[in-house]
Amino acid sequence: MEQFLEPAPAVAETAPPGPQRIAFHASGSEYFRIWIVNLLLTIATLGIYSAWAKVRRNQYMYACTELAGASFEYHGKPVPILKGRIVALVLFGGYNLAFQYSLAAGFCMMALLAAVMPWLVWNSLKFRLFYTSYRGIRFGFDGTLKAAYFHFLLLPILYVLSLMLALPFVHQRIKRFQHTETRYGAQHFCFDASVGSFYKRYAILVGLGIGAGVLSAALGALLTALIGRVGVLVAVFVGYVFMFLLVPVFLNMIQNLIWNHTSLGPHRFSSAMQWTAVAWISLTNILAIVCTLGLFTPFAVVRWQRYHLESIALLPDGSLDDFMAGAGDGVSATGVGATDMMDFDLSM
Amino acid sequence: MSDIVDASYFDGRSSRLHRVTLQVVDGVARVRGDAERDSPLAELRVSERSRHAPRKVTFADGAYLEIRDLAGIEALLRRTGHSDSWVVRIQQSWRGALAAAAGTVAVLGLGYAYALPAAADWLARAMPPGMERQLGQGVLAVLDRHMFEPSRFSDQRMAELERRFKQLAPPQGDAPPWRLAFRQSRYGPNAFALPSGDIVLTDEMVRLLKDDDAVMGVLAHELGHVHQHHITRRIIQGSVVTAGATLLFGDVSSLLATAPAALLDMKYSRDAERDADDYAIAMLKRNGIPLEHLARAFERFEQLEKEDGAPAAYLSSHPASAERSAHVRAAMQQN
Repeated sequence: MEQFLEPAPAVAETAPPGPQRIAFHASGSEYFRIWIVNLLLTIATLGIYSAWAKVRRNQYMYACTELAGASFEYHGKPVPILKGRIVALVLFGGYNLAFQYSLAAGFCMMALLAAVMPWLVWNSLKFRLFYTSYRGIRFGFDGTLKAAYFHFLLLPILYVLSLMLALPFVHQRIKRFQHTETRYGAQHFCFDASVGSFYKRYAILVGLGIGAGVLSAALGALLTALIGRVGVLVAVFVGYVFMFLLVPVFLNMIQNLIWNHTSLGPHRFSSAMQWTAVAWISLTNILAIVCTLGLFTPFAVVRWQRYHLESIALLPDGSLDDFMAGAGDGVSATGVGATDMMDFDLSM
Repeated sequence: MSDIVDASYFDGRSSRLHRVTLQVVDGVARVRGDAERDSPLAELRVSERSRHAPRKVTFADGAYLEIRDLAGIEALLRRTGHSDSWVVRIQQSWRGALAAAAGTVAVLGLGYAYALPAAADWLARAMPPGMERQLGQGVLAVLDRHMFEPSRFSDQRMAELERRFKQLAPPQGDAPPWRLAFRQSRYGPNAFALPSGDIVLTDEMVRLLKDDDAVMGVLAHELGHVHQHHITRRIIQGSVVTAGATLLFGDVSSLLATAPAALLDMKYSRDAERDADDYAIAMLKRNGIPLEHLARAFERFEQLEKEDGAPAAYLSSHPASAERSAHVRAAMQQN
């Protein structure tokens, strides 16, 4: 039988009381059915259906994401997604083939790819945000193409030249660019995490990495003295587990940092991810996917999305009813340049 | 008479949530409450049915209703004659989803075992020879820097082996252009072919076999790789398998995507080796060289595997040498 969802809060005109946590209603079993049918149709059409599959999947995921009594909506159209995928396939396929062909051709493709990459990322950001709405108001991305080239081409070059020392700075600048240029209707988001706070998170990561290295080396020496050569293997394994745990610890620090420093007008956000939960979910998801030869994948995606989304909350300061649509964002109108926007599936 | 469904209405201009009810009377949707409007059903768009997502009914101007009473809206839609698309019907039934799962496994299995090798074979043959020869160009130069030294054999010895091999006729058709490259290796006996037609033979291999007829068998095997476009096929098959694995597992872990791709590629590698063995058997037979020489070559490899404990470079991703010598001996029985 069909289920009832909890009714939306009755009082809508006044400020919602307290933090509004995101609720994610998707279920693994329902997403499994959507996923497997999409997969079959995608394979049977040699990948062409994948654009339609993406629209179906996103419509489901967005509709299942509820914040303060209303859900999100995905408006993406399959044909521009398909066009974007073909362009991406030609570019990245050409890049891989070029290196098989000759080294010079490979480097030419690499340069070409680096030159068009900011444009691809810029297009993807615009596409994804413009085709997302909440409470009937569209999101949007106002960053200029010039700024996109600065953030996605020049800054990464700086990062390489600085021997990675500028990485936290580049990371902060890219996130700041993304968040401040994003708007909900006519209202821009604000981002106030400092460069210093990014350096602090990266310093903790490096510190933990060195600590894990020293610890497993010491453990190796100790165990070798006690039980011989097997001790080295045990220490290597322990070191590997440490390194595996560093990824969720870092991701969780960065997500919390970013969302705790993002605001929309007077409303702030908070993120309360726990690294232990992130590590547990990633580890069990990977094990379950391997044990089921991939069939657990849709369950894993829903499980991860639920944790990821539900750890974010909106801290409203006043009513959420007063946002206005941006100029030219009319849902029936195509929006400025929306017709030639393509989606390149570059996750940021 | 028609029943009434609770809904939230958003007008598309502001984020205000209007509490309303929806009712359908004579083919017209009637919204009443904080906002009021009527619209003929034909102008409305309904989101797809699901068990967990709220249903959305969108007006022509982009305003929409969000409905959480899923059973209520479903009953209302059914009475107005709305029907789900066939994809939604399959997605929402377990029988449909299980059939799709079985279909996916079948299509993937058949594609992997038959369709992909056939398509890659066709593509490799259709590819202009010049383009294929370009593939892997520069590989030999890299190997020369890191693995190989010039052969210690005299020019006379090299010319002798090359002349002998040139006299052999391939099993069918004309052999593609090939070149023999003699090298001394730091990693023991080895022989391999590149798409450019270069067949590399190490001094160690010739010394291990101690039998020029066996060397001809090994070279025939390598010529088989060139003649049947095995490397080009492997490149095509490998890219498709990797792309497929990324499609399946990519959003979870990149390691999960590469590991099965590498495993699946091993089967193609062993298939190519078996095809090249068959090619060598046919070529030796055609030129009247007893197969005994090739069988003994595989037995030498087997012995080497046992001595070293681990397979030598030449033997990795190949079928077991014992199996290969048995295959040659079986071919000898047939005549």
